[in-house]
Amino acid sequence: MKRRTLLATGPLAAALVAGTAACSGQIQTNQGGGAATSGDGTTIPQLTFPAEVAENVAGITNFNPFSPNVTSKNYFYEPIMIRSSMNCEVVPWIATEFAWKDDTTLVFTIRDGVTWSDGKPLTPDDVAFTLNLRKQYPAADDIGLWNDVFGAPAESVEVDGQDVVISFSGLAAAKFDSLITAKVLPQHVWEDAGDPTQHVDEKPVGSGPFDLGSYNGRRLQLTRREDYWQADKVKVQELILEGNYDATNAALKLTAGDLDAFWGEIPNPEQAFASKDEKLNHFWYAPAGSTVLTYNLTKSPFDDAKLREAISQGLDKDEISAKATYSVMKPASQTGLKLPYAENLLPDSYKDQETVLPFDTAKAEELLDAAGYAKGSDGFRTLPDGSAFAPKFLVQAGWIDYQAAADVVVRNLQTMGINASVQTSPPEAVDQAKKDADFDMCLEYLHGGCEVARNLGSKLASDQVPTKDTVKANVGRWEDAHTDEIVAELSGETDPEKQKALTGELVEIMMTQYPVTCLFYAPARMIYRTDKAEGWPSEEDPYGTNSEMLMIITRLVPPSAS
Amino acid sequence: MKYFLRRIGYFLLTLWAAITLNFLIPRLQPGDPAELMIRQISGRDTEIDPARIEAMRVMLGQPDGNLFEQYLAYLGQLARGDFGYSYTYFPATVTDVIGRALLWTLVLVGVTLVLSFVLGTVLGAFAAWWRNSPFDSIVTLGSTFVGTLQSFWVALLLLFVFGYVLGWFPTAGGYEASMPGLNLEFLLDAVKHSVLPAAVLMLLGPVGWVLGMRNTMILNLGEDYIRLARAKGVPDKQIALRYAARNALLPSVTGLAMALGGILGGQILIETTFDYPGLGRLMQQAASGKDYPLLQALLLFTIVGTLVANLVADMLYGVLDPRARKAA
Repeated sequence: MKRRTLLATGPLAAALVAGTAACSGQIQTNQGGGAATSGDGTTIPQLTFPAEVAENVAGITNFNPFSPNVTSKNYFYEPIMIRSSMNCEVVPWIATEFAWKDDTTLVFTIRDGVTWSDGKPLTPDDVAFTLNLRKQYPAADDIGLWNDVFGAPAESVEVDGQDVVISFSGLAAAKFDSLITAKVLPQHVWEDAGDPTQHVDEKPVGSGPFDLGSYNGRRLQLTRREDYWQADKVKVQELILEGNYDATNAALKLTAGDLDAFWGEIPNPEQAFASKDEKLNHFWYAPAGSTVLTYNLTKSPFDDAKLREAISQGLDKDEISAKATYSVMKPASQTGLKLPYAENLLPDSYKDQETVLPFDTAKAEELLDAAGYAKGSDGFRTLPDGSAFAPKFLVQAGWIDYQAAADVVVRNLQTMGINASVQTSPPEAVDQAKKDADFDMCLEYLHGGCEVARNLGSKLASDQVPTKDTVKANVGRWEDAHTDEIVAELSGETDPEKQKALTGELVEIMMTQYPVTCLFYAPARMIYRTDKAEGWPSEEDPYGTNSEMLMIITRLVPPSAS
Repeated sequence: MKYFLRRIGYFLLTLWAAITLNFLIPRLQPGDPAELMIRQISGRDTEIDPARIEAMRVMLGQPDGNLFEQYLAYLGQLARGDFGYSYTYFPATVTDVIGRALLWTLVLVGVTLVLSFVLGTVLGAFAAWWRNSPFDSIVTLGSTFVGTLQSFWVALLLLFVFGYVLGWFPTAGGYEASMPGLNLEFLLDAVKHSVLPAAVLMLLGPVGWVLGMRNTMILNLGEDYIRLARAKGVPDKQIALRYAARNALLPSVTGLAMALGGILGGQILIETTFDYPGLGRLMQQAASGKDYPLLQALLLFTIVGTLVANLVADMLYGVLDPRARKAA
């Protein structure tokens, strides 16, 4: 209710704020550089980001990275390595390199010269300690290192000189992406903390670029560390993390310059923010994955690939993305890969080919006629055996973009003669329906991460079918022995060339069998101003996105004088 | 004595029923807290790593045994005053989380409630005394009108006008730049942030008391003892305050006690609108976040608060009005 009312008032207030912002911008350009905001031209005095902790009651301070409510998760403890979710490059961080010594042995070489904020050096022992802690306390194993999630469990983690050697009991290549996100902890501080998930960490001793300045429960102030191992790349002197904003408030704060970046939802960023100042206000909604239409394949007639193909052809993806995302996101490729970023994984047969299915009602009707879904006297199609066909499209109540997309989908279905209707339910009830396979069609998210076996693979693998009490990725219940083989092989594969070939086989299944229909890309948002800092990720320089804030911080530079 | 024992018996029975319902209802809801929490942390359209859900399950602890065993364990925990860990604020305990929000609500809701009561009762009494005067019309009609307004609507209106358009008051939170503690800067900051929510409560709060007081007092004014007092030549002012108002106050006192007990539930809509860090917002967050331990404790406090207040009011009533004791 609050949001809706504020939306109505937004434009007025935004216009007021935009007016002032434009004025101050002018003064800066006249002075040539804007001394007030950009400092001496080599540093960025201060940036303000939204708070990382979602709901805080008068500030429960806890920097423990295992806590669900960690006060700041990005800037104190650092991951082993960072894999950019956009270009999939593995960026050296605490480890300078990694290598699969054989199929079951992974070796990280730990960087020399990294210090903790208390002055002690970070050693390979700290890394091994961090990983072994997860063995002792399964509740802390958020990366699934010691269990059989996406590959065989680890057997041992040992230090060998400057290396940390992880031995797995079997193939475990698909664990890599989450494994490298483990935050390295200082052994000398954490070894006496007991169960790490219950530890309250009020004074973090981290390896990251900032020290804890002050925190009053709402406003977290971080100050740059002189002795950070790549301090030369960190120009931000002070970082403020403050406030949880809804779309309207965030747009106002951004426009006023009170906030320098935001990555929460702003449905129409062009209108709400970017258009207020074309020079300083920018946004980049990169594809993080695809929103897909999932069919319940255990239910007739959705087990018929012909029907799925017809539906896939008859959906107007352009209109769907226009209604659901204000055309900010593009229609998604039916390959299940996020293009053009994952182009290197695309099999040669689909190179330079349009993989977003064209909108063709005539072809859809033709396919339906041929498959025996004849039109009755009421204009609606029946099943081949003559019985009525009226599928229900289950949608999460309150997910406005999903509801908008579902409306278009149902309209398209009606046009081709399928008597579909939308059924809205609370998100938890939809989750339950997914577990119970109690739906006809629904909308879903297909993650476009770098490890295809975990994303597209798990959407199609029979061991990822949801159980009674766990939602897993294969909600549509695609169960196919051949697909399982491909996914299993892909999750154990460490060679890029073979990974590409196997991915190609999954793409082939998507393009010919339509286990799900890809509709439009789902965003990873970055909305930012360039008056205090430049070097944000963008369509031209897609080095990362909001899940790689630590990397972004090391790329920000003061704005050029122009 | 029998009257008091009976009240206490009712109290215990209702308490037991409340505790049992409080235990059962969350368990009938769909949704797995571990899954929900991971989903909340990672946001909507993101990859859900099964390893994280698994770890979260271990972390939060799965309930042991069947429903009845869980129930017994729950009763045992309650007896020890142990409400467990909050899911959302893990590893903070429920007691700790509530403790942080308690003072905000107690001060905001408590102060405005008492002020509303005093203001409402006084206005109601005078409206009844000057019945059908312009004053009565303004107060009665005004209260009826204000009483039909929804609290969240008034809250949004004030937020928009004084927060956004005029910019006089902050729009969210309990404080901003200052360090929490007993210092002047923080107190001023906190007061500034509570002006708008308090204004909403003060605008809507007195309505019930005004109408209740006015109506009971009018009834009392028609009683024989008032006529007698007039006949004896007791001054008007004394009749109004010492005779009529005092008797008319009785039901209001019960109401006040109940309302004070209900404070623990906070003001969900108003606190949420102003993002005020009190118990009401906490309860809203606990409900939407499926934070069962926190939600159960908050509901329990509200119920127990109301029940205890009710018991106290009953007892007081027995003391204040001998007829109630006899009748029971």
